[in-house]
Amino acid sequence: MSTTDDRVARPDPAATPSAGTTEAAKAGAAAEAAAVGAQAAARRRRLRPGQVALAVALPLVAIALWQVAVWVFAPREWILPSPVDVARAGWDARDRLWFHMQWTILIAVIGLALAIGIGSALAYLIARSRIAWLAAYPWIIVSQVIPLVALAPLLVLWFPPFVAILVLAVLMSIFPVVVAGVDGLRGTDRDLIRAARGLGAEESWTWHHVRVPAALPRLFTGMRLAAVFVVSGAVVGELVASERGLGALTRLTAGQFETAITLAAVVLLGLIGLGLFGLIALAERIALPWTRRATRRGA
Amino acid sequence: MPAKGVDVPHGHDIRVADLRLALGDDPPVPVLGGVDFVARAGEATAIIGPSGCGKSTLLDVLAGLVAADSGHADPGGPVALMPQGDALMPWLTLRENIAMGARLAGAPAPEAAARADTAITALGLGGFGDHYPHALSGGMRQRAALARTMLAGRPTWLLDEPFGALDALTRAGMHDVLRDLRATERPTILLVTHDVSEAAALCDRILVASPRPMRIVDDVRVVGGDRSAAVDAVMASLRAAGALA
Repeated sequence: MSTTDDRVARPDPAATPSAGTTEAAKAGAAAEAAAVGAQAAARRRRLRPGQVALAVALPLVAIALWQVAVWVFAPREWILPSPVDVARAGWDARDRLWFHMQWTILIAVIGLALAIGIGSALAYLIARSRIAWLAAYPWIIVSQVIPLVALAPLLVLWFPPFVAILVLAVLMSIFPVVVAGVDGLRGTDRDLIRAARGLGAEESWTWHHVRVPAALPRLFTGMRLAAVFVVSGAVVGELVASERGLGALTRLTAGQFETAITLAAVVLLGLIGLGLFGLIALAERIALPWTRRATRRGA
Repeated sequence: MPAKGVDVPHGHDIRVADLRLALGDDPPVPVLGGVDFVARAGEATAIIGPSGCGKSTLLDVLAGLVAADSGHADPGGPVALMPQGDALMPWLTLRENIAMGARLAGAPAPEAAARADTAITALGLGGFGDHYPHALSGGMRQRAALARTMLAGRPTWLLDEPFGALDALTRAGMHDVLRDLRATERPTILLVTHDVSEAAALCDRILVASPRPMRIVDDVRVVGGDRSAAVDAVMASLRAAGALA
């Protein structure tokens, strides 16, 4: 059994058993902890070097195939530039790309923050109130049925460009937050609620101390999806309503057959999505230590 | 062993008379079909019956979580319900889970934590206060759940198959823990189980429940530690009630 596994139960060395603890009880606890430690070690999920190599190699292989295909079929550069051409064009246009990328990042971060804040509040209301469920939930579903591209010109008519793009980004990303939040709040383990209520907890106490923390893992799943969708929403808005942002840049460069820069912008959009996804995953690790650690202090 | 400073008052009689309840709408399914019994203060009373006969629903009614259609259910005072399994909050440490009982009883956070630490030591969980439930064994979690129930400071404990998910060895250890707590805390206990030997080992009386809709069809007293006679009597009653396959 590994002693380095952070899921293994080990007694806190600082804690001193009192005289009231029987030897049998201590031995029992130690034996049980050892058994749990063995189970935890078996559950351990660490990436092996081979798995890491595979994760890195697959995209490299795809890029290599792309490069070979360009060598073999020699398409015109404005139709399909090679990965090397894209990298070179991206480096040469780095100032231009950075100028537009800052705007997209700003829209995506503000949009994601609004989607998480408004989405979590809506999820709470919808899960807690039948009236809110009936009044709001159908509209949230309808908002996802309407293609955003169809909605974008209207939003541009109604709002200033920045607000219109932000609304599109929020509309695109709020849905997974609301659905995951509602499911998490309404799907709480019945025994946990029964345990709290059975000890005299009021309904509102149970909501705030049982349902909300129990819903957090699902809510974070929704937030991770939102982190990806918000970039799509921002790009749709920029395509329609902006002269700035990577979405606007793809429209401009594609129209001028600067395909390599278009592809470089697309790569950067992917990286923005990946970065936001990673930020949410990091926040999840910090906020939910109980999903990965044996103890709060990591003892 | 009791948590020092925890003053749990003695329990009260639990009185249930002609309790009836149907659940569902289309059509309603009778679950409690006129349940009658009195569980005496300070005693441990088991209710034993087949799975799905309505035992857990009866505890929910006594805990005030479900309203009965008719009849009378008086637990005699505040109760602490311990559901099946440990039902510890996964996001709270062992100490916080145990302290939750005291917090719900109105204790300030520091006092609740201190009581939890005392209970942790008394129940042989010393050194594991900062661990999350998932990192502990079933027996340790169950001890913590019992400690949480104890610290709620309520005179009557409703235990719903508390040891059903444990292996035989761990369950025997938990029986010792519960016996110790009974001796020191003197609560009134209503224990729901489908294990006849567990009921005979832990309780003063065993009420035999019929299949759904549930009624109490026999009342067996465990006299002077003669468990085998009680087990025989309960088995005969279960057989007569059609509760055995």
